[in-house]
Parts: sequence; structure tokens; C-alpha cells
Amino acid sequence: MKTTLLAVAVALSATAALAQSMPAEVTEPVTITFYNYNLASAGNGADATRKMIAEFEAAHPNIHVEGVPVQPQDIATRLQADIVAGQSVDLVQMPFAALGFAAENLGAVALEDIVPAEELAGHFEGMVPNGLELGRLNGKTYGLAYTFSTPVLFYNADLFRKAGLDPDQPPATWAELKEAALKIKASTDALPLATGIYGPTALDWLMQGVINSNGGAVINADRTEMTFASPEAIEAIAMLRDLAQEGITENLSITAQMEGMAAGNTAMYLQTSAIQGYLVKGATGNFELRAAAMPAFGDKPVKPSNSGSALSLHSTDPVKQRAAWELMKYLTSERGYTIITSEIGYLPLRPSIVNDPEYLGEWVKAHPLVQPNLAQLEKLAPYVPLPGPNYLQIGISMMDAMEMATFGNDDDVAGILTEAQERTQRLMP
Amino acid sequence: MMTDAATLAPVRPRRRALALSGWDTGVGHALMILVSLVCVFPIYWMIVTSLRPENAIFSTRLWPDAASLDNYAYALRAVPMQRMLVNTFIVSAAVTAVQLLSGILAGYAFARWRFRGSAILFGAVALTWLVPLQVVMIPNYLLVARLGMIDTLGALILPHIASAFAIMLLAQSMRSFPTEVVEAARMDGGNHWQILWQVIAPNLRGTLASLAILIFITTWNEYFWPLLLTRSPENSVVQIGLQMFISSEGTQWGPLMAASTMASLPILLIYLVLQRQVISSFMKSGLR
Amino acid sequence: MRLGHLHLDPTMTDFAAEPHPPRVLRRMTRARRFRRQLVPYLYLLPAVACFVIWIYEPLAQAFVLSFQQWNLLPTAPKTWVGLDNYRNIFDLPKFWQALGNTWYYLVGLLPLAVLLPLVIALFTQDLPPRSRNLYRALIFVPMIVPPVVAAAVWRWLLDPSHGILNLGLQGLGTKPIGFLSDPDLALWTITFITGWKLIGFATLILSAANAAIDESLVEAARLDGASNWEIIRDIRLPLLSPTLMLLILMVVLLGAQWSFSYIHVLTEGGPLGSTTNIYYLLWQFGFGSLSVGWSSASAVILFVGFGLLAAALFALKAKVTFHDD
Repeated sequence: MKTTLLAVAVALSATAALAQSMPAEVTEPVTITFYNYNLASAGNGADATRKMIAEFEAAHPNIHVEGVPVQPQDIATRLQADIVAGQSVDLVQMPFAALGFAAENLGAVALEDIVPAEELAGHFEGMVPNGLELGRLNGKTYGLAYTFSTPVLFYNADLFRKAGLDPDQPPATWAELKEAALKIKASTDALPLATGIYGPTALDWLMQGVINSNGGAVINADRTEMTFASPEAIEAIAMLRDLAQEGITENLSITAQMEGMAAGNTAMYLQTSAIQGYLVKGATGNFELRAAAMPAFGDKPVKPSNSGSALSLHSTDPVKQRAAWELMKYLTSERGYTIITSEIGYLPLRPSIVNDPEYLGEWVKAHPLVQPNLAQLEKLAPYVPLPGPNYLQIGISMMDAMEMATFGNDDDVAGILTEAQERTQRLMP
Repeated sequence: MMTDAATLAPVRPRRRALALSGWDTGVGHALMILVSLVCVFPIYWMIVTSLRPENAIFSTRLWPDAASLDNYAYALRAVPMQRMLVNTFIVSAAVTAVQLLSGILAGYAFARWRFRGSAILFGAVALTWLVPLQVVMIPNYLLVARLGMIDTLGALILPHIASAFAIMLLAQSMRSFPTEVVEAARMDGGNHWQILWQVIAPNLRGTLASLAILIFITTWNEYFWPLLLTRSPENSVVQIGLQMFISSEGTQWGPLMAASTMASLPILLIYLVLQRQVISSFMKSGLR
Repeated sequence: MRLGHLHLDPTMTDFAAEPHPPRVLRRMTRARRFRRQLVPYLYLLPAVACFVIWIYEPLAQAFVLSFQQWNLLPTAPKTWVGLDNYRNIFDLPKFWQALGNTWYYLVGLLPLAVLLPLVIALFTQDLPPRSRNLYRALIFVPMIVPPVVAAAVWRWLLDPSHGILNLGLQGLGTKPIGFLSDPDLALWTITFITGWKLIGFATLILSAANAAIDESLVEAARLDGASNWEIIRDIRLPLLSPTLMLLILMVVLLGAQWSFSYIHVLTEGGPLGSTTNIYYLLWQFGFGSLSVGWSSASAVILFVGFGLLAAALFALKAKVTFHDD
């Protein structure tokens, strides 16, 4: 009882602190931390992030940004540890899968609570509505979509030609894909299809897109019921099982599949557009790499899901909140997205910059591989984060069952999924 | 246990000390060559890959066609490699020294005395093996934060002051030590401390050297704890640097192999220097 | 010549004899006697203090937390859930598979991590120094590379499409083998890689132990005409038995942890759970999550489970390495 009272009191006082408005600008020197996973990998991502931070600091001399590099799969754990240890946590590049947890448990602040309404609306203007939706939970914005990608079907044009297929007409539906794959299997040694669907680190981000495209969903809209044993979902998994049984796709690890594509040994690869840079490096001088949209189920509309991260704000001090919000605005501005797309390889969430010569206009013309990705931006269905403290276990259990249904020896896809759905339902909050 | 040599039957003719039968030697060497090959080939592959350009990483040719040191140059530029190597060396050397020290002391306690609770304490030491790092990671992190030592090398050393493996290995080696030597030293008026450091430890050189190599390597390759603790690349260790080439959006294999080669060389050196001690160092100055 | 009188019994309880004969003790004051009895504890102090602070205290916390659901933040509520966390873990469909796999890992590691190093240590002992050091250095090489990199290189070497092992096999006419993608093979592949990395470690330990054997015993035996095999069987093996038992103990208790890096990089527990082991599974579901209840319960399960196993093995060790003259 005492603990509950204490918790309530603390929560109330925290809300009271939030209700204090943050100042209109930063007038004294302040340091904020930026937990970021691009900084954790050497390469374009880190360089571009450092560049953006430098530009921001130049424009805001009172604000110093301390970048904290953390690998994406460790961000939530690191945040948890740092908050408990009393470290200052201000702005975080939060993977979408953990956004729900961040809002409920890690103190992510709803922007509507601290930013004056007109300022917020002014900043939101020009952002893709689908993108904004991604960061919204229970009607409030907890994250602004930052680095962002959709699933894309990469394919090896040379292997297509070898199999007698036209590389200018990539498969648009799963049925067409199967046909093409069978031809590839017959005339080459290559693996016809690799996907980034399965693998514990992937969790269910790509699977949500596959099932959504068939009209189903893994979880219902208000996140209270698991629905991955619905007929549409079962149908989608059964389709994947069929591909596996025909030898079109194999149960390889995520890295093995990625390497296979980069080495030129795989014909088609359905995976996040973010790996484009990696594939291009492997393809240069070896084979012609192309990209197409995610395949559809017949004439049902494709609903690609998204992967990537949102920026979430965790400061409790009003001055730091203003500083972090300024950084957030900068990173999600036209200039910010220009750098993110052209130098790191993610999607720009302000469509206006795509054709604007001051921003991305020239770059997009020189990089056609990004077109299918851009086109899918309008169609995407936001990834729905799994709820509750057991969200990870729910996700892993569900994907394990789906993997078993796709690649295992048991043909009873419906049975496997139904049993798993019941089991994971018990783990729901 | 000891076979009375006189009862060996039938009595065989004297053999030269180092002679092995032809068949033994042949099979033995064949086995050793095979095992050596299997051990070394992947490392060779790592080095060869580090010399290849990005689009030839998955090539299967045994020799790099267009060998270049570009990956090394890139790796040195992309992460503060030299600094990390120095940091890692400092941490590994410190942990090795400290674990050997605490291990010798504790091992001596278990080997030399019978005291109340020795069995329980020994069990408690052994059981620390069973506690995976992730269990203690967060509470240890909080303790380090309270000590104000986040992002310091000290925090990488502090939790590793003692090692169950070192203690158990040393306790066992000390137990196998012949009593007469210790008795002789005591007759000469030595106390426990002197006996430990002047009689026993010098004669455990082989065990200590091999232990030093192993502790050094284990600390050198440690990843999870440094990952949690370090916030700036300049204060981190080489494993963190290696991880910076790995990402879920495409690992930079060439630079990773180059960085890994650079990170492996110091350990190889330590091994080559210390392994000379792992020879028959028994009782050089003891039993007269 | 009897060799027994040198008291080289490895359990060596004589060594831990009373430091002073009784009549001396009687003459000591109680204070001095107390201080003398304190000495072993002082020698143990640094190690024990380290373990208590950095290992046992968090473990005790974990034990308490395993019965709760909490995300560690002081502002969040702690809910008492009793045995729920444990029940959820045992409920995982992969739990029993992971347990079974663990058994295979441990058994599979023993030949590579104990038997082969023993053979190598013994064989190289009698070689001229140059070839001995060369062989040992080559065997040791796998240990110098970080596990992550070793795993990646093996993945390339074993890949069905661009791995030279499979290319070689195809040259011989067989179909490519999915070393890591075939559920029946993947576990043994990972066991092999884990063992490959460990050969140098075990060889080093055994070489050191072998080198610590009194050469005069061996000389004496040779003078009496003992063959190499007899020397090995009657002198070296028994004297090496404590070290061997220690190694076996390590493999059994730590084998699951040792294979972690390779499982994580190469298969992530798949395909279809064929390479997961109890440690990896609990890492995935317990430690990877932020629900401290799951991770604490996992920790307690691992600790208690392996603790019982360790106790059984210690008892066995005491029996096996005790010889009477």
C-alpha cells in the first residue's frame, strides 16, 4: 500500500513538473545526451550524425550535445540502466519495436504535454501523415519518426536474365514471385528468395507487413488481443510454407541471407531498404542490383510495415526539455532528412524535399534504387508495438511458432498458430 | 597408484629417453599437422579477407588477388584503434596481475590450511562460475555509477579482482606440491608468507604463466561489460571498436577483419613471450 | 624402487597439516591463537570480498526480484507475482528442447576440449623444443581472435554457396551441406566451432600441469625400462587427473556459456531451435528483456540447476582423484 501511494505521489509530482512549461528558448549553457545507434557503427551513419550534431551546435551555441553510442538491440536496456543509475537521459533514437515500452516504462514524454500547440503543429506540417502516426500511442505523440525504412524486394538482374526473366518486370505479387523463383531454381544454382522475416533480432517487424498485406494483423488495433491465428494470417504463413517446401526459400540466418545476396548467390531478397548501401558495395563490379516494391497478395493492397527508429524525449528538467526539443526539431527538419536520406540511406519523411533541388532533388535522380522505397511511403501501415512488460517474450514466442509453421515438418499451420496465439495471449498485460 | 617399476613384466629393454616408435611418431605428427591446419586456416582466412576489397569479401580464392591495406587504413581512421589497443592492454594487464595475486593468496589459503568453513568457502568460490554476467550486470552498473566510475578504465578492472578459475587451479597446483620442501623451509624458520613467495610461487611458474595468458585473453576479449560501461570510444576497449564495424544494416567485413587482425597481434605476442615458462620448470631450486 | 614414499598423492591432505604441534599451541595465549586462526581468512579476503560485492549480492537481489514483476525504475510499481515468472519460463515450448540440446553440447565438447588437448599435450611434451613450441603455438592461434570474428569466418567457410568447404565437397561430387542451416547438423557444427576455439586453452593448462610433474619420477621409471605408454598410464595420467577433472568440470558447467557467442552470431538459436541451449534460451527470454522478473528467474534457474550438477561432479571428483598407495 505504501509503495503504491509512493508511486502515485511520484508520478503526480512528475506530471506536475511536466506541466511547468519549458522556456521558449535556451539562454544558459546546457548539455544534453543523445542516445543514438548510428553513432555505434563506424561508417556513414556515424559520420552523418556527427555532422548533424555539429551543424546544430553551431546554430545553438548554448546547447552542447553529448552523443552516447548504443547498439539498437541494447538501447532499451541501456536506458533502463542509466535511468536507474541517475544519468541524464534526454533524447533517444528509439527503435519502433520498443517505443511502446519506452512510453509506458522509460519515461518518454508526450510532445503534446510540453510543446505549445502552435509550435508543434508548425513543425508537423509537411511531414508524411503515415510517419507521424507511427510515433503516436493513445492519441499522443511519443516519438517523431527519424530513421525509417520499408521492406523492399532487392533482386539480381543478372540472375533474372540468366533464368530468362525480364529484369524490367519484377514480380509484383507473391504468385508472380513463385513463378519467377521456380524458373530461377531450374536454370541457376542461386537461392531464389531470401527474406528478413525470421530471426530473433528482427522480431515481427517484417512479418507484420506481410500479414497486413493479406488483410490480417498480428495484434488487434487497441493492442489487447493477439490475432495472428486469424484466417488471413494463416493464409499468409501457408503461402510462405509453400515457398519453403518448393525449395524457393531456406531457413538461413539473417546474416547468411544478407551475405548471400551481397555475394551474388541469391536472386531476390525481401528486406529493409536500409541495407541498400551494404548490398551496393557487394554488387559493384559483380552484378546488377535492382529494387522493387514488396509483393502483394493478389490484388489486395500492399501494406508494408516500417523498421527504424523514432526520436523520443526523456528529459524531466524544463531547460533540457527545450534543448532536446530543439535538437529533435532540427533532426526532423528538411535539412535533417536531406542528410539522413542522402548520406545514411533512410527515407525522407518530408516528401516536399524529394523534388526540391535545394534538398534531395539532384540526389534522387542519381540514385534510382531509392524510388520503390519512396513510393511505398504512402502505403505503409504503421508497425504496432507489442504491449506490456512481456512484449519481447510475446514477440519471440509468436515468431518461433511462425518459423516452425513455415519450415518445420508439421503441415498443420493453423494448429501451430492457434496454439501459439493462446499461449502468447496469456502473456498479455 | 605408483606402479612398482620392479614388478613390470615382462622387463623391456632400455629405451633412449626421447625415442618414440616409428609408428607412434608418424601417426602423431600426422594428427598434429591436421589439427594445426584446422586451427590456423580460419585465421589465415581472416587475414586474407582483411586484404580484400568490399566487393570481393566472399571470394573463395585462397590468395587475395588485389591485396591492399585499404581496410587497415580505414579501420584506423574510423575508430580510435591505437587508443583502444592501449586501453585494452592496460585493463588486461591490470586484471591479470590482480587476479594472479588474489588467486595465489586464496589458493594458498585453501591448500595450506584446514580451517572452519573451508569447504563452504571453496564451494562459494566455485559457484561464482555459475553466475552469468547478465544477472549481475545491472546491479554492478548501478554500483559503478554510485562510485562515479562510469566510462572509466577502473570500472572495467574492479569487478574482476578475483577469478574462480585462477583460485581453483592454483589451489590444486599448490596441493600437489611436495610436503618435504615446505617442511624444509619451515625448519629453516620461514613463516607462511615467505614460504608462499619464496618457495612455492617460483616453482609454479608454468601454471602461473599459462594462467596469465588465459586471464589476459579472457579480459582482452570481454565484450558485454565494457559495452555497458563505456560512453566514449576513446575510453573503450578494442572489442567495442570491433563491434562498431558490425551493424544489422550491413557489416563492414573488410575493415572488421583488418581491425580484428590488429587486435589479435598483441595477444599472440603475450603468448609467445609467456609460453616459454610453460616448460619443465619443476623444482629448479628446490629438492636437493 | 618404490616411488610412493614421496607422498605425491594429489589430494595432498598432508600439506594442510597443523601448522604447529600441540604442545606449542597450548603455550600460546588465546589472543595469539585466535590471530593465527584468522590468517587463512585474511589470505582469502580479497577474493571473497570481490565475490560478495560483485557477484553474490546481485545474485541475492536477483533471487528476490525473481518473484516480482518490475522494470527496475524507482517510479514504477513492483508487483509480487510469486512463481509466475518461473512458470512462464518452464512453459516455453523451447525450454525442454534447449535442455536436451545443452546435454548434446556438453557431451560433444568433451572430445575437443579435453581428450584432444590431452593427447596433444602428452605428444608434444617429448618432442624437441622447436617442433613442440611450433605445434603448441599453432594450436593456440584460434584463441587470439575474438569470438565474433571467429564465428563470422567459420560462417563463410561453411556457407553452402560461397564457402570453400562446400565448394571442395562439390568438387568431390556431393551436394552442398548446410552446416548451419540443417537442423540436424547445426548443433554439431557449433559444438565443433566452440571446441575448436578451446583446444589451445585446454592444451595450455594440461601442458603446464604436465610440465609440473617431477621429471625424476619419469627418469626413474625409464631407467627401469617402462615404455612411454606405461609412463603415461601410470605416472602422467594419475598426476594429471585433478587437472583433467577440473577441465571436465569447466566444460560441463561452462560449456553452454562458451557456445553463446557462436550461437548468437551464427544461428540465433535456430534453425527451428536446434542450436539453442539453456543458457542461450534464458538469455533471449530473460536477459534480453527489460522485465527483471524474467531475467532474475532465469538466473536463479541456471544457478540452482548447474549448482546441483556441480555438487554432483565435485563429489565424483573427490572420489575419482583419491588414490591410495
